[in-house]
Amino acid sequence: MNKTHKILALLALAAGATAATPTLAGGHAYGPFPASYIEECASCHVAYPPQLLTAPGWAQVMLQLDQHYGVDAGLDAKRRTAIADFLQRNASRRDKHAATAQPPRLAQTPWFRKEHGPLPQQAGKTLPAAAQCESCHRAAEHGDYTESGLRLPAGYRHMEH
Amino acid sequence: MKLTAHALLAALATTALLAGGSAQALTAADYQSVLIAAAKAAEPGFAGFSAERGAAFYRSTHGGDWSCASCHTEQPTQPGSHAVTHKQVKPLAPAANPERFTRADKIEKWFKRNCNDVLKRACTPREQGDFIAYLLSVK
Ligand code: HEC
Ligand code: HEC
Ligand code: HEC
Repeated sequence: MNKTHKILALLALAAGATAATPTLAGGHAYGPFPASYIEECASCHVAYPPQLLTAPGWAQVMLQLDQHYGVDAGLDAKRRTAIADFLQRNASRRDKHAATAQPPRLAQTPWFRKEHGPLPQQAGKTLPAAAQCESCHRAAEHGDYTESGLRLPAGYRHMEH
Repeated sequence: MKLTAHALLAALATTALLAGGSAQALTAADYQSVLIAAAKAAEPGFAGFSAERGAAFYRSTHGGDWSCASCHTEQPTQPGSHAVTHKQVKPLAPAANPERFTRADKIEKWFKRNCNDVLKRACTPREQGDFIAYLLSVK
């Protein structure tokens, strides 16, 4: 898997990948994120990497902030527009990052499922909820999902695919 | 009423800006004085805020699933934990966290959200003032 990632990164470089997003070689370091994104989208959970969900998914999230996965995350129009723009600019353009659930979740995309196997949507005794990225990726707060930050909770057995 | 509070706040923020050169000059006590004016306008018999009422408000689930304590803990000088995501929430009491109640836009944003989540409606100026009075009373 890691080899594949490296090869992909090299291929991307070779192809002169447009570097439109902060996702550069090495793959899984997505941060640092702009202060406004941290301020508005990282109070209740880690700032999720925009690159792991497609543009339609983000658009939908930003249209329903008053009813956001069971809580009110409402924002005034000015801030909402600025953040929606940031998410659109950095969203994934690959089908594998398209949400397979409603409302859209980056923890429910074909890519996430392949990378993680089945993770519960709600935290249990041994496993954190899939959306609690930071419980396994200890540097998730900074958008860093590289392997060096990975600490698996007891009771988690990673499925190989 | 809401407009009154808002206009007052804007005025206050401007004063704070002129006086201190920074929007950070707002304190919980400043915010309380704005809420007093709004509460008077809303309730003719208004006789001041009460930390005791605020404590009860803080712990009540108001007929729903959550209370303010669900995320801000029983002891607001302690860090809390978000009821759904378990992310840590810094202490709400200004004695433990001096950044609290220093930005009007932030205070308003979270009152709107969290009152909706807990009470399924906006909090009144008196409820907000009682709540802050309670938080100021815990050391
Ligand atoms: C008031 C708290 C709060 C704020 C503010 C907030 N969220 Fe959330 N968000 C939540 C909760 C609660 C969940 C559900 C988590 C769960 O199911 O474990 C969630 C879930 C999500 C998910 C789905 C994660 C997944 O894959 O399961 C996305 C995407 C998301 N939020 C994006 C955002 C964005 C973008 C912002 C900023 C505009 C934001 N959130 C601000 C509370 C919040
Ligand atoms: C229960 C633990 C757990 C949770 C929760 C979790 N992950 Fe992971 N994640 C892993 C494991 C294990 C891997 C596989 C690492 C490998 O095989 O190289 C992984 C891999 C990844 C990778 C690829 C890293 C690489 O170097 O290949 C990314 C990106 C990632 N996760 C993002 C997320 C995001 C975003 C969330 C939250 C929405 C999340 N993860 C939640 C355990 C978790
Ligand atoms: C579901 C979780 C949750 C509940 C329930 C909750 N809050 Fe909060 N509250 C938060 C989070 C998250 C923040 C922002 C995090 C931060 O600033 O550290 C916050 C921040 C605040 C702030 C901002 C204070 C400041 O100046 O920084 C106020 C005011 C507030 N809450 C009031 C309330 C009141 C009143 C209730 C009960 C009616 C309540 N909250 C219930 C999660 C919650």
